[in-house]
Amino acid sequence: MRMRRALIVVTCIVLGCIVGVAQEKPFSGMVLRLASMADQFAPFLVELGRRFETLTGARVEVDILGYPELFAAVTHDLATGTKVYDLITVDIVWTGLFAEREWMVDLEPLIKRDYLELDIPDILPVCWSQGRWKVGDKWVQIAFPMAAYANSLIYRKDLFEDPAEKEAFYKRYGYELRPPRSIKELRDIAEFFTRPPHLYGLVANGARGPAVAQDWMEFMRIFGGDIIRDGKVVVYSPENLAALEFFVELHTKWAPPGSVGYWWDDRETAYRTGLAVMQSSWSIARPGYEDPKISLVVGKTGMAIPPFEPSTIVRTGFGGWGIGINNDIDPERQEAAWAFIKWITSAEIQKEWARHEGAPIRLSVLTDPELVREMPWYPTLLKILIHGDGDYRPRYPEYSEIQDILGLRVHQAITLELTPDEALRLAHQEIEALFAGK
Amino acid sequence: MRSRVGERLKLPLPLFITEKKFYYFFLTPAIVYLTIFYIYPLFYALYISFFDYCLGAKTTTFIGITNYLRAFTEPRFVIALKNTMIFVAGAVAIELCLGLAIAFLLSPETRTMRVIRALILLPTSLAPLVVALIWKALLQPDLGVVTYYLRSLGINIGRGLLEERSTALLTIIMIDVWQWTPLVSMIFLAGIKSLPHDVVEAGIVDGASPWQILRYITLPLLRPVFVVATLMRGMDALKIFDSVWAITGGGPGTATTVLNFYLFEQGIQHLKVSYGAAIGNLFLGICIPLGVLFVSLLYFRQYKI
Repeated sequence: MRMRRALIVVTCIVLGCIVGVAQEKPFSGMVLRLASMADQFAPFLVELGRRFETLTGARVEVDILGYPELFAAVTHDLATGTKVYDLITVDIVWTGLFAEREWMVDLEPLIKRDYLELDIPDILPVCWSQGRWKVGDKWVQIAFPMAAYANSLIYRKDLFEDPAEKEAFYKRYGYELRPPRSIKELRDIAEFFTRPPHLYGLVANGARGPAVAQDWMEFMRIFGGDIIRDGKVVVYSPENLAALEFFVELHTKWAPPGSVGYWWDDRETAYRTGLAVMQSSWSIARPGYEDPKISLVVGKTGMAIPPFEPSTIVRTGFGGWGIGINNDIDPERQEAAWAFIKWITSAEIQKEWARHEGAPIRLSVLTDPELVREMPWYPTLLKILIHGDGDYRPRYPEYSEIQDILGLRVHQAITLELTPDEALRLAHQEIEALFAGK
Repeated sequence: MRSRVGERLKLPLPLFITEKKFYYFFLTPAIVYLTIFYIYPLFYALYISFFDYCLGAKTTTFIGITNYLRAFTEPRFVIALKNTMIFVAGAVAIELCLGLAIAFLLSPETRTMRVIRALILLPTSLAPLVVALIWKALLQPDLGVVTYYLRSLGINIGRGLLEERSTALLTIIMIDVWQWTPLVSMIFLAGIKSLPHDVVEAGIVDGASPWQILRYITLPLLRPVFVVATLMRGMDALKIFDSVWAITGGGPGTATTVLNFYLFEQGIQHLKVSYGAAIGNLFLGICIPLGVLFVSLLYFRQYKI
């Protein structure tokens, strides 16, 4: 009799423990798959996926894919409803396409539900362009901000501060050498530092396709241009023409000879090996310049707000990645995926992620005194993000084709196959044709 | 032991199994496999090419042959087709010539030659994408090793071999030649080894010079090997995609845009599945007659001798 009682007590304790554990870990046994872009933030995302299991019971397995592979994999998964991925990192420029096709869960109701928990005011306003889109009359949020990238001017601080260089520059141009604040200054400094074959003033991507298209659009923005303004295609405009002429000059005069074939990694390599003095680059690459394993310019890099035409409104290039939930998966998995999103975008995790090449979206992280000590470029980064414009690259569903058209025509201009005028006219006609009848 | 079709086989099989049924039984897996993975996709690609379907779009409309007409009025399709043909003709021709020469060089049966034969096959064992990435690094316009040595030798390569319109496609051809010539040489070597010695010996007895033996005996006898090598490499070269995608992205300008790359851009990147299918079908429509014509010409000449 006593034995039976003891058995019942033990069973109750074990069951109680199981129930307790189950209550603590609401998603026990669940495995979520996340398709992530192979950017600097990705390795730590894998680590976060593992840690999420100890917290909630749901393991997040992360597939790290290159940009074109990621786009192909997720679009095919989402379009065919194969539910391979529960969570997807969404490039800001995919917003229109993914929203119009209703591929992702609209996070708006979930954000409203968990508003206080999410500490929304702490997220920089520009970050919401990662996933916000108007479908018909309704605004949807198809991705939650995850990694904020700012286009910044990266320059060789050691050369800019060198007294001999400063003196020589002053003698030649009549003003002090400093990070350029206008196009004229950018041009002068690029010219000044161009000393082939070992040093070049300014470098940008030139390879046909997204590489040249995206870097040119950054210069287009600097010149105050746009691709689409008030719903109208404005590719062939004086600002854009000036930007393209400058871009051609950049590739033919101030960049290393092979820059017309440069992708992002080539441009970064040119800078990190000391071949180029200035570049416009996404802020996610900034910590890498201080890593002696991949950089020869450790401690020599400065970061500044990109120059702009004095007559234009200050707006800086904003991009990066949001994270969204596949619309096809069942509600329970969606809830687990949302829990993961909330966790990785919390201030605590964002701070930790920042130390592992993350790209914080939160004001509290970018102003955190400890982090600012470790990453002294954060105040500048914050200024750039505050002026960020997530629409300088049009986030329309047709973005991929727009980028393809610009990727060819701008490339033809910098390889001198077409004049800037011809290239822009053609690009304008082709992009306009995309919207014909819409 | 052979039985006529329809008769019961003289094998220990159940009575209801005739030879005809027996054949069908063994053919069924192959037929099912071909139907699911080749015939159905082929007809489906033909079917969707008559619509304006974009991946994930909620609606689609029948548009007849518009996608096909669009391809022929699209300059980039025409350029891609031209580049593909130049690539195939260039790569296959060089590989055949070099492959034949190497096969003759490697034909002596010595230990050194046996080692070299094994070593030169190494490039063919690499994935084309890996080869492309290696060459991309070697030819990097400012920091690449090949570029450095070419410039050090005083050779003017402009902005880089892959960055100049005049040399980009040729460079892609040479990368293909580097990878696949060893395979072609091994095919030729197998052919040379299987040549009948008595014919060559008869030629020597009749006083034929080495050139005459090569021209009038060896090469004609190698004609079937030529057919095999050309077909294998030709079909493979038509599929060129990896190196263009990884190295040049179709540039500079449209200098290395080949059909598969154009198809990838339209069908995969822009999600225009129907237009992509139309391009694929056109490509198939061009390849099949070319292949048939080529094989018939070579076999016709073979039987004429």
